[in-house]
Amino acid sequence: MFEWIFYQLADRFAALHDLVFESAVLPLLHYAGLGGFAEQAFDWTEFFLIGAIEITLLAIVLGALEKWRPVEAQTDGQSKKVDMFYTMLQRLGFVPLAFFLVMIPFIDGLDAWLRMQNIIPPKLEDALPFLNGSPFWSFVFYLVILDFIGYWLHRGQHKFNVWWALHSLHHSQRQMSFWSDNRNHLLDDLMIHGAFALVALLIGVAPGQFVVIVVAGRVVESLSHANLRLSFGRMGEYLLVSPRFHRMHHAIGFGHEGRHHGCNFAVLFPIWDVLFGTANFENKYPATGVRDQLDGRNYGVTFLSQQWLAMVRLVQSLRA
Amino acid sequence: MSFFPIHMQSNVEPGSKPCSIACAALRLACVLWALLSLALSSTLSSAEVAVVLNSGEGTISIIDKATMTETKRIPVGKEPHHLMATQDDQQLIIANAASNELVFLSPLTGEITNRLGQISDPYQLGFSPDRKWFVSVSIRLDRVDIYNGADFKLVKRVAAPKAPSHVAFNGDSSLAFITLQESDELAAIDLKTQTLKWKIPVGRMPAGIWVTPDDKYALIGMTGSDYVEVVDWRNQKTVKKIPTGKGAHNFLAMGDGKRVLVSNRVSNTVNIIDQTTLAVVDTIGVPGGPDCMELTRDGKQLWVTSRWAKKVTVIDMATKQVIKQIPVGKSPHGIYFISHATRK
Repeated sequence: MFEWIFYQLADRFAALHDLVFESAVLPLLHYAGLGGFAEQAFDWTEFFLIGAIEITLLAIVLGALEKWRPVEAQTDGQSKKVDMFYTMLQRLGFVPLAFFLVMIPFIDGLDAWLRMQNIIPPKLEDALPFLNGSPFWSFVFYLVILDFIGYWLHRGQHKFNVWWALHSLHHSQRQMSFWSDNRNHLLDDLMIHGAFALVALLIGVAPGQFVVIVVAGRVVESLSHANLRLSFGRMGEYLLVSPRFHRMHHAIGFGHEGRHHGCNFAVLFPIWDVLFGTANFENKYPATGVRDQLDGRNYGVTFLSQQWLAMVRLVQSLRA
Repeated sequence: MSFFPIHMQSNVEPGSKPCSIACAALRLACVLWALLSLALSSTLSSAEVAVVLNSGEGTISIIDKATMTETKRIPVGKEPHHLMATQDDQQLIIANAASNELVFLSPLTGEITNRLGQISDPYQLGFSPDRKWFVSVSIRLDRVDIYNGADFKLVKRVAAPKAPSHVAFNGDSSLAFITLQESDELAAIDLKTQTLKWKIPVGRMPAGIWVTPDDKYALIGMTGSDYVEVVDWRNQKTVKKIPTGKGAHNFLAMGDGKRVLVSNRVSNTVNIIDQTTLAVVDTIGVPGGPDCMELTRDGKQLWVTSRWAKKVTVIDMATKQVIKQIPVGKSPHGIYFISHATRK
């Protein structure tokens, strides 16, 4: 039954993907003389459509959940609108596409150079050949490894002052909602994307269903930022990052401060925080933001001012 | 080993009461079902299959050619784009670009028999006609890798910017022709010295390439335009442009030594080109972004991967109409079946 529904939906989506690509994207590409990039454009069209559907569904489901059990009243409409803009930029693929175009010549150049030295970068399947025949386990392994790397990159964002100068923009949302996940500085995004691209060189690119990994991650991250009084229970809190777990990471006095420059850094699986001693399972929903906002520091209201002020903080931290 | 699925076995605990009539009937039904499946599977395994590479999801679709339905989808590796058979048609070689490997499988059943790693980013493949050289083209990394045809030992990597796309050979196997998709050029690599011999400018985004059986011309599909360019490769000169359809992409010989097919990915057509007159003689509508093709030996059916539609389109060559579109995986690219028309 579920399988039947899944295939029906997948079929409908494939038909929509084909329709949009063939009737709009491909003729435009051909007209612009970029017909050779048809395959890449086909994938980006899929990315865009999945993002559009995902955002719509999240707005319906998480929007309803936020109304059902909000942590706090949302009074700052302007700030939420800017977060929506960040979400659109990221999840409809515009920022990832721009980064892809910027980074790919460097990554491919490095890869090509390695091969001229007779070094073919390794891949996970060399060590675990059974992954070749199992899309499911391949998906699981790549998801867990990428999440583990995500945890340490996130630790880095808090540990190093220069990086924190950028990442603090993400933490400056004092009224978090499910739209807040993508509120990041573009340079911060570029560093994270670049790090994952290097990881792809080290362990191989993720499998064909990479887009599923991306979407699965994004859905959990939207949920974890939601203005939602929700804990996953004693066991559940150890399994998947919940709105409660991640709110503690954003909480003033908890998330960015303390022995490890804060707590609850995990993106999807809290087990990393448990293993490396940074987990906080207190059942609290404290106020969120960056401590110096209490002293009146301005992190910007509009998208452009937020991006600019982060660069100013970056320069200041470099001088310090 | 038992015929019974585990959940059925668990109903029969040691020391439990003897089997009821219903239970016995169920067992009998299971035995019959198992026998029937065995019989069916042996019938299926003897039937001819078509192998389709789903480049976007890292799988191959095995299609029962008679019923035109997908019977199996097998994970194969990352980004399988092109495939080719060994000369004796005993094995199929699949190039998994992002897995840096070749996968060998049986063209009769689609069963994987071997994997060969350390093949750098194989996108398109070709054996020189004398089988001495195996050439693998890396579109992403601007490289053409030349291997020993007998044992796949690397002989040399040749830099070939930008975006080397497809490969073909001249008749005496001295040259490999490579289309350079992003620099709009045709390159010839001297196979003996493994060095670039010459490069000439051609039209926009050259992709598929085919050398005519008389060994005179190289036909090149202009994916960024709407024609096939005819290059007199001995004189390194374009001699004709054959208008086909937008996004002219890939070629397949029809087996009569006279005609060749070209797929047009944007205009959703396939043209038949007469290789002696170098003119289009027929046009067939193939929806969904026609890419790679395979023609039955009797010339009656043309099977085409419809890249954007996640389907394989089967064309009746007598009526030039679509017989069926078979759903497969994401971004189907290469296609093969054993009873194909001769490659000439």
